[in-house]
Amino acid sequence: MAGDPKITRLLEHPAIWRGRSAARRAGLSTGFAALDEHLPDKGWPRTGLIEILVSRFGSGELALLVPALAALTRAATARWCVWVAPPLVPFAPALASCGVVLDRVAVVGGARPLWAFEQTLGSGACDAVLGWVRQPKPRDIRRLQLAAERGRTLGVLFRPRRAARTASNAVLRLSVEPLATGVRLTLIKGRSAWRGALDLPWPGS
Amino acid sequence: MRRQLIRSAASTADLPSAARTGSAPAEVSLRSVRRTAHAAPIHELWAGLHLNGLEPAQGLEQLATLAQRFTPRVSLAPPDGLLLEVAGSLHLFGGVEGLRHELSGECLRFQLRPVLAFAPTPLAALTAARAGEALVITDHALLVGRLAPLPIGALRWPEETRARLARAGVRTIGAVLRLPRAGFARRFGVAQLAMLDALTGRSRDVRATHRAPVRFRRRHELDCEVSDHDRLLAACAPLFDALGVFLTAHQRGVVELECRLVHRNAPPTGCVLTLAAPCAGGPQLSALFGERLHVLQLPEPVRAFELRADQLMPLRSLCRGLWQPGEHGGEAGEESEGLVDRLRARLGPEAVHGLALRAEHRPEFAWAVTRPPAVAPRSAALGVHGTALDEAALPTRPLWLLPTPQPLAAQDGLPRRRGPLRLMSEPERIETGWWDGGEVARDYYTAVDRHGVRLWVFRERTAPHRWFLHGVFG
Repeated sequence: MAGDPKITRLLEHPAIWRGRSAARRAGLSTGFAALDEHLPDKGWPRTGLIEILVSRFGSGELALLVPALAALTRAATARWCVWVAPPLVPFAPALASCGVVLDRVAVVGGARPLWAFEQTLGSGACDAVLGWVRQPKPRDIRRLQLAAERGRTLGVLFRPRRAARTASNAVLRLSVEPLATGVRLTLIKGRSAWRGALDLPWPGS
Repeated sequence: MRRQLIRSAASTADLPSAARTGSAPAEVSLRSVRRTAHAAPIHELWAGLHLNGLEPAQGLEQLATLAQRFTPRVSLAPPDGLLLEVAGSLHLFGGVEGLRHELSGECLRFQLRPVLAFAPTPLAALTAARAGEALVITDHALLVGRLAPLPIGALRWPEETRARLARAGVRTIGAVLRLPRAGFARRFGVAQLAMLDALTGRSRDVRATHRAPVRFRRRHELDCEVSDHDRLLAACAPLFDALGVFLTAHQRGVVELECRLVHRNAPPTGCVLTLAAPCAGGPQLSALFGERLHVLQLPEPVRAFELRADQLMPLRSLCRGLWQPGEHGGEAGEESEGLVDRLRARLGPEAVHGLALRAEHRPEFAWAVTRPPAVAPRSAALGVHGTALDEAALPTRPLWLLPTPQPLAAQDGLPRRRGPLRLMSEPERIETGWWDGGEVARDYYTAVDRHGVRLWVFRERTAPHRWFLHGVFG
């Protein structure tokens, strides 16, 4: 439809107001200019579930998110940034040195990570929720995505690389592989013209 | 001159209060205000309730507790009367008629239809109500005149006194008040005269304010034994409602609520709900209990349910923002407390925690678990260098720490983890801790494994020189 020049011309008429363009919110800057250029909203979406797929734990997936978390926790009306069932201890001195304000960070442990993830996403109390959930079903991911929209929260789900083969309701799916001085990102799903891989060097390396 | 000024200021200051409380005649002359101000220096308006058919067992106290919603000064007049001093709070409930409507509504919950009278003295209000007259007397000057037609029986004097008065042809309060004071005291007793003075406001009638118990303990017997969780929750709901009413009346909230489920043979199942902030909402507590109930194992069906809240905290009044949390920078203080409560109810009290820094060089002691952070509003966004920590001053640290260092295999003095590790950095030495017995002597390195994952490893400086994995850079 968008390709039809007549309709395109018609839609340019000033009397036609299109909600989509007004409702579009600026994304949350990732802190990496090269990555911002490639992402659909010029950054992470502020609402919705994204998936980060890694071949191995510790491939650089957290370092990719930390600048955005630092910006979120420093805002005047910052809500929480919650870590649901992290596999190791988030090391507070490292987070603080990256600029994350610790009095907006909470960690949720316990036996039911999926339930806790959904509750936290849907509560409206959080700006961002990072979750490590073991083998979520497609139905679970759909629920998480709905909860993230309800709570106006950015949800980040970390999954192993092999999950790329299954379909998912997440608004953005990225695969992360470690490089010698950075990471290689591949977009698996997302409203973006970006195809192929992006090599992102760490700042200062 | 100065004294005159002060007096006129005082008398005009009384004027608006008299006009405000009276929904009735506004033609209050300055002189009458001055006179009433001398007669009853404290302006009061009492609501007297006469409750017909009240069950004696603690019904009055329960109703008094409910009535504390309208004013803090509620007095019991056993066996069937209740007094509320409402001069200060009348305008909040839409005047006399509004308050009458709301009070009657509260009484209807107990299947009671009270007679409600308003008067400047407590005894006058109570007497009018007991006489069955719903009088509204807001002006002290009119008090005696309006009380005069009421029968003496409403004063509840002893039968003998009433009989003697009746023989003398005295049947109304007006007639009693016309009797000579000295003779009345001699014949009928000083106590009765004091009562008349209290009735007309000649002497001050100080009433003890009802103090509801500041702890909540109540038991609810279920109609039948219940083992189904949802039905149990529905059956317990009235008790949570009662708790909510109790807490609102006291302006208190619970932070710890003990729930006990009583069985036929097995010992009672108990669970304690711990809340992040004082909570006074019955439905909210009921929902939390529901979350908790889902993970409870019940040995037998439940026969009765008990709620105990011994520790009540003053309730913080809340300002609600215009925006929803997350919209245009809306705050999320309430939501985060609710979230913490829900997570704790289902996952246990240890499930949610915050992170804090500690001034310590050993990595495992450099952080601490804290209570979940309270989301206090900030005046402005923090700058990039808002915290006390200078980013450049800190050495590189991994984002993930292993709870305890994990031993690594070694080959030719170099560590291995699913293949050889390449050491990428100069060693960083972290040593000593003799003061608490946790002495360490380590050389930390950044290492990269076969797959490119960056790790934080250390080598002990003491004898076996073992290698350990302590963090992942993530």
